[in-house]
Amino acid sequence: MIAFTGWRWWSGQQKPAGEGMEIVFSDVSTRGGVLTSSLRSEPRTFNRWVDRNFPPDLISQLTQGKLIRVNRSTQELEPALAETWTASPDNRTFTLTLREAAWSDGTPFTSADVVFTFKAIYDPKVNSILASSLEVDGKPLTVTAPDARTVVIAFPGPFGPGIAMLDNLTLAPKHKLEAALAAGTFAQAWGVATPVNELVSLGPFVLSRYEPGQRLIFDRNPRYWKKDTAGTQLPYVDQIVLEVVPDQNAELVRLQAGQIDMLQQQVRPEDIATLRPLVDQGKLQLLELGVGTDPDLFFFNLRPQRWAKDPRGSWITRREFRQAISHAVDREAFANTVFLGAGVPIWGPITPGNQKWFSPNVPRYPFSIDRAKELLAGIGLTNRDADEWLEDEKGTEARFTLLTYRGNSSLERSAAVLREDLRPLGIAVDVVALEQGALVERMIKGDFESIFFFFSATSFDPAMSADFWLSSGSAHIWNIGQATPATEWEKQIDDLTHQVMSSVDQAERKRLFDQVQKIFAENLPAIYFVAPRMYIGVSARVGSLSPTILRPQLLWAADTITVRTPVPTGQGGR
Amino acid sequence: MGRYLLRRLGFALLLVLVVSSASLLLTHLAPGDITSDQALALDPAALARLRAELGLDRPLAVQYLSWLGGVVRLDFGRSLLYARPVSTLISERALNTAVLAIAALMLATAIGLPLGVYSGSRSRGAGRSVVRVLSILALSVPPLIGSLALVFLAARTGWLPVGGMTSAAGINLSWAQWLADLARHIPIPALALALPLAATLERLQSQAIEKATREPFVAASRARGLTQAQAVVRHAWPVSLRSVLGLYGVMIGTLFSGSFVVEVVTSWPGLGRLMYDALKARDLYLVAGCAASGAFFLAAGTWIADVLLALADPRVRSQEAP
Repeated sequence: MIAFTGWRWWSGQQKPAGEGMEIVFSDVSTRGGVLTSSLRSEPRTFNRWVDRNFPPDLISQLTQGKLIRVNRSTQELEPALAETWTASPDNRTFTLTLREAAWSDGTPFTSADVVFTFKAIYDPKVNSILASSLEVDGKPLTVTAPDARTVVIAFPGPFGPGIAMLDNLTLAPKHKLEAALAAGTFAQAWGVATPVNELVSLGPFVLSRYEPGQRLIFDRNPRYWKKDTAGTQLPYVDQIVLEVVPDQNAELVRLQAGQIDMLQQQVRPEDIATLRPLVDQGKLQLLELGVGTDPDLFFFNLRPQRWAKDPRGSWITRREFRQAISHAVDREAFANTVFLGAGVPIWGPITPGNQKWFSPNVPRYPFSIDRAKELLAGIGLTNRDADEWLEDEKGTEARFTLLTYRGNSSLERSAAVLREDLRPLGIAVDVVALEQGALVERMIKGDFESIFFFFSATSFDPAMSADFWLSSGSAHIWNIGQATPATEWEKQIDDLTHQVMSSVDQAERKRLFDQVQKIFAENLPAIYFVAPRMYIGVSARVGSLSPTILRPQLLWAADTITVRTPVPTGQGGR
Repeated sequence: MGRYLLRRLGFALLLVLVVSSASLLLTHLAPGDITSDQALALDPAALARLRAELGLDRPLAVQYLSWLGGVVRLDFGRSLLYARPVSTLISERALNTAVLAIAALMLATAIGLPLGVYSGSRSRGAGRSVVRVLSILALSVPPLIGSLALVFLAARTGWLPVGGMTSAAGINLSWAQWLADLARHIPIPALALALPLAATLERLQSQAIEKATREPFVAASRARGLTQAQAVVRHAWPVSLRSVLGLYGVMIGTLFSGSFVVEVVTSWPGLGRLMYDALKARDLYLVAGCAASGAFFLAAGTWIADVLLALADPRVRSQEAP
C-alpha cells in the first residue's frame, strides 16, 4: 500500500507521459502484434479434461475448440466446429454437421474426435471434471457418428438448456490421446512436462513455449478455421504472452507500467482510484463489466447432526434467525465499506448481472434492527443478563464462529462488517480466517458453524449449476449430498429445479426458476448482501473487446481482439 | 580438520532428513489435501477415486515409509501438483534461485562489509550516523514492502523490468544477449534480498570492528606507526571476521532456499515460489523436497562458513586439530 500511495502521489506530480513525446498508432489495427497478459498461478497441467482450475481453462479457451459455444457477451448460442445442427421434435436428439477443419498439426478434425472426447470424459478412470456437466440426471449422453462430418447426440431425458450444454465440451484429439485413454493414463496425459509440440490445437492459438515459473507463449494457429466477415483469417494478433505474476500488487504495477496489456481478473475496488490517472491520460481503459454474477455468500451449517448435541441448534437452524441477520445488515453501508461503493444490494444468489435469470420479485429484508430483534425474540433470544449479548431460554449465549478465506480482502472485510453489524443486535461472532484448502475441507466435512465464502459461476443457466440447488448436490454447501431433502422447502426447490432442468420451454423455465429464487429468499439457506460492480483494466492499445462478467472476461474471445502497434512518428496516425 | 568436516556432513544429512520428514508430516496433518479444490466439483465417489489414485487413501505411516524408502535412493517422489518428479522440479528452480542468491550475496557483501568497517572504526561523525540510520531502516522494512517499493520504482522510472527472470524474447537471444537480459532483470529482486542482509552485515561488522579495535595488538600496531586505517584493515578486520563469517552460513542457507516474498512479488521463478505453491496446494512430496533442499543449503552454507572461518582464523584450525 505504501508503494501504491507513493505511486499515486508521484503520478500527481508528473506530467502525463504523452506530453513530452508523441506516441502514434497505426490507423490500421486489424492484424498483427503481441498481446501480453498475466496469470496469477501456473498451470498444473494442460489437461483441461481433468483440472477445473483457471489456468487450464484459459489455455483451453485459447487453444481448443468447441462444437457450439454460448457467446458470453450476448448469452446466445453460436455455431463453432459444428456449423449447423437440427433437433428432433422432442428436443432430445441433435444432429450436428461438422465444418471442415484441421488440428494444428494438419490432422483433419472429424466426428471420431467428438466420439472419442465423450468416451474419455465418461471413462471413470479419467475422473473428468467435465463429466457431470455433460450428463442429464446423472446419465451420460449417447454420441454416435454416422459419417466423418456428422455427429448425433441423444440426451437420456429432456434437458432445458438443450444443446447449449455442449458449451462445456472441450474437444480432445483422438490421434494424440487415444493411446493414453487405452492405457488408462489419459488423466496424466498433457502434463506440464509434455513438450509443447505434442499439444495440438483446434483453437485460435497454439502453445509454442512454456517457461516454468515465467510465462506461456501462444502463437497464431495457422489452421484455425474461423474468418471474420471480411474474410480475414482469425485470430488478429500474432502472439499472446501470459506472464506468470503471482502477486496481485505486482500485477497491478505491471499494468500501470505498460508491461502487461490486461489483467485476468477484475480490479479490486481499492485499486480503482490508483488506475484513474492512467485512464485520464488515455493510457488505460477501465471497463465496467457489470454486476458480478457470483457474489460472496454467508451460510450456516444446516446439517441436523451438527447441532444434535449443541443447544444453539434450536435457534441457529431457524429461518427466523437467518432472516434477523439479513435485516441487521445495512447493505448500502456494506457496499461502501467492503466494495468502496462499487456494489449493489442483493437478496439471493442470482444477481442483476445475470439479466436472463434474475428475479427482482423475491422477499427482501430492509435494514431494521428493530425488526431483527423482534424476529430473534420470537425464537426465544433476548438479553437475560447484564451483558450485551442475547441468550436463549437455557441461558446459552447467542454466539457463533464464522470461518472465512484468509487472504481474500473482500471476504475478510465482509466478515468483519458482519461481526460489527450483529453486535448491536446482541449476537457475538468469532471470525476465524483459514487458508482455502483448510476451509474447503471443513466445509465438505461439515465441520463448521458458519462460513463466508465465494463460488465462481461458470454458466448463467441454473440448470448448469444444479449441484448448488439440488439437496443431493455436492455444492449444496449448507447441507451437502442429502439422501432425501431434509426440509420441505428444499424438497420444493428440488422439484422445481428438476423441472427447470427438464423443461424445454424457456419462458416456463424462467417462471419456475423465479419460484426457486422466491423460496430460496424466504428460507435463506445462504444470505447474500452485496454484489460488486466489476471492472477490468486494459491497455488503451487493445481493441475489439467483448467483455463479459465470467472468467476469462476478455480472452474468451481472444481470436477477435486487436492490438495497436506503435509506428514511427511521421508515418501517419491519429 | 577432516574429522570435523565429516562430522558436520553427517549432521547436515540428519538435518535434511529431519526437516523434510517434519514438513511432510506437518503438511499431511494440516486440514485439506491436494484434492480439496476439486471437492465441490466431483461427487464423493469420484473424489475417493482421485484420492486413491494419488495414494492419499493410505495410512500416514505407509505413505511416509514409502516416501522414506525413495529418499534413501535419492528419489523424493512425484509432485502431486505437477505430476513430475520432485527432484526435476527442484533442480529447475534451484538454478534460478542460485543465480539470484549469488547476486544478492555479492551485493550484500559489497555494501554491508565496507560500510560496517567504516562505521565501526569511527567513534563519531555524520557519516557513521547516516550509515546506522540507513541500516536500521533497511532492517525494519518488511520484505514485502521493500520488494513492492523496488518494483514500484522500477515501474515508475522504466529503468529496469518490473519482474520475471528474462524477457519473453529471451529464448531467441544469443548467449551474450541472454546474459544482458538476465542482468537487467536481476537488480530488483537481488536488491530486495540484499538490502536487509547488507544492513545485518553492516551492524555485525561494525560491532566486531569496534571490539577488535580495542584489542591491545591493534593499539600496538598504531604504536609501530600504522595509520588508523592501516591498523583496522591489516589487524582489526581479519579478527573481526570470525563473527561475520558465522553469519554467512545462515545467509547462504536462507538465500539458496529461496524467499517466498521476494520471489512472489518480483515473479522470480525460484525455489521459494515453488515451495509456496506446494504449500498452498498441500503437495506433500514437493513440500518435503523443497524443505529438504532448504535444509541442505542451510547445512552447506554453515559448512562453507566453517571452512572459510578456519581458513581466515588460525585459532579455529588449531582448536579443531586433534
